[in-house]
Amino acid sequence: MTQIGLDPGRANDFTPREPVFQVRDLAVSYSGNLAIRDVTLEVYEKAVTAFIGPSGCGKSTLIRCFDRMNDLVPGAKVEGEVLYHGQDLYAADIDPVEVRRRIGMVFQKPNPFPKSIFDNVAFGPRVLGLKGDLTERVEQALQQAALWDEVKDRLKESALGLSGGQQQRLCIARCLAVEPDVILMDEPASALDPISTTRIEDLMHELKQQYTIVIVTHNMQQAARVADMTAFFSVEVAADGKRTGVLVEYDRTAKIFTTPSDQRTEDYVTGRFG
Amino acid sequence: MRISFQEELDALERLLHAESELVLRSLRGAVEAVCAQDVELADEVIAFDDDVDAQYFEVEQGIELLLARQTPVASDLRLVLAMLKDNLHLERMGDLCVTIAKLTKLTKGLPPDQTLLDGFREMGERAEQMIRVALRSLEQRDRIAAESLLELDELIDRANRRIVNRLLEMGHEIEQREWGLRMILVSRCLERIGDHAVDIGEQTAYLVTGEFREFTDASH
Repeated sequence: MTQIGLDPGRANDFTPREPVFQVRDLAVSYSGNLAIRDVTLEVYEKAVTAFIGPSGCGKSTLIRCFDRMNDLVPGAKVEGEVLYHGQDLYAADIDPVEVRRRIGMVFQKPNPFPKSIFDNVAFGPRVLGLKGDLTERVEQALQQAALWDEVKDRLKESALGLSGGQQQRLCIARCLAVEPDVILMDEPASALDPISTTRIEDLMHELKQQYTIVIVTHNMQQAARVADMTAFFSVEVAADGKRTGVLVEYDRTAKIFTTPSDQRTEDYVTGRFG
Repeated sequence: MRISFQEELDALERLLHAESELVLRSLRGAVEAVCAQDVELADEVIAFDDDVDAQYFEVEQGIELLLARQTPVASDLRLVLAMLKDNLHLERMGDLCVTIAKLTKLTKGLPPDQTLLDGFREMGERAEQMIRVALRSLEQRDRIAAESLLELDELIDRANRRIVNRLLEMGHEIEQREWGLRMILVSRCLERIGDHAVDIGEQTAYLVTGEFREFTDASH
């Protein structure tokens, strides 16, 4: 495992700001089966961090630790430490609902509610009783998600009538409407066509000015395009055949895709894995 | 495993090595032509440059296609970038051989100086050796061998300086002045071929270590 300790880098390299998440010795198991272990890394604010790796390497399991989604899986157990702005996310006094308000998530398949476009975005602020003008808040979220111009004349129409790419941007707008701090994206573009994918990637570039973004992707070139930092995870197979994800290397994206330190990373990004 | 990609990479590297063999032929021809004052051979060297250029374009287009289709990363990316630059260095070496051949034609019938001709033979051999070391270090991904080019370059530089000094001594002999002036350029061309070989070595070091670094600022 490569411990994070960034060298000064080249002149045009990404410079990390404050850590938003500090993960130490994290291990997650489902009903006693270890899904991922020994993860130590920091996620930096107002940057895009990508998790890449083969199927079963635990990258989705890890991202779900950041908003305590694994709490909802029966038999799931999270060990180690996940600090969010220095605070233990798994401390007894932490309310998972409050965590998920600050840390939004966008999933692989767009999952709008079977409601109007407006109501989808207004849903979070209404439930949370957020103050301020709701219409304004919805418009702002749709603007930020680069969807406003396409839907402003049909806000009362069903969200299910939107295209896949529009639905995904609606889900991002829904996430932004509650003013989160972090946006987690689990394969946000894998169900989309190339043009919609480009729009989501451009959007990430815009959003990272204001938000911290963590993305899980199995599209390596997507990670290379959008991420400032990239973590590569691999699968270790034990003698009894049990497979566990491990963090192999975590560094600037430029480093991972030009001069990775670990041979396993090199083999994976160059397509020589397996 | 990306089998076709690996095959394309290997094929490009083979093309680059074949190009270096053409450049070596061109270099031997150019040095022989200038030393023997053989104008016919000089013409052959000039015509032969089309073969070097054709090989250069083939490598160039192969790399363009590979970048467009395969988006190489990590060591593959470094290899492709190194080959892109090595290809240009080889083509430039070919051009320098053409310049030597043209200078040979321009000095037809002028009285030569044997000490200088011996110096050109020495520089030609050194340049040939440097090209071989440069290409072998690439083939074997051998950073140490690549760095040894710096010492070889010092030897060719010294030979160049000896030639310039000899020419300065000759300065008062009117009938040899034109020949001598043109021969300064021949010496310079051979010395530049050595510099290009050093640059190829630098690309090998980059390929192996991932670090951009000039062996020395004084190599040019």
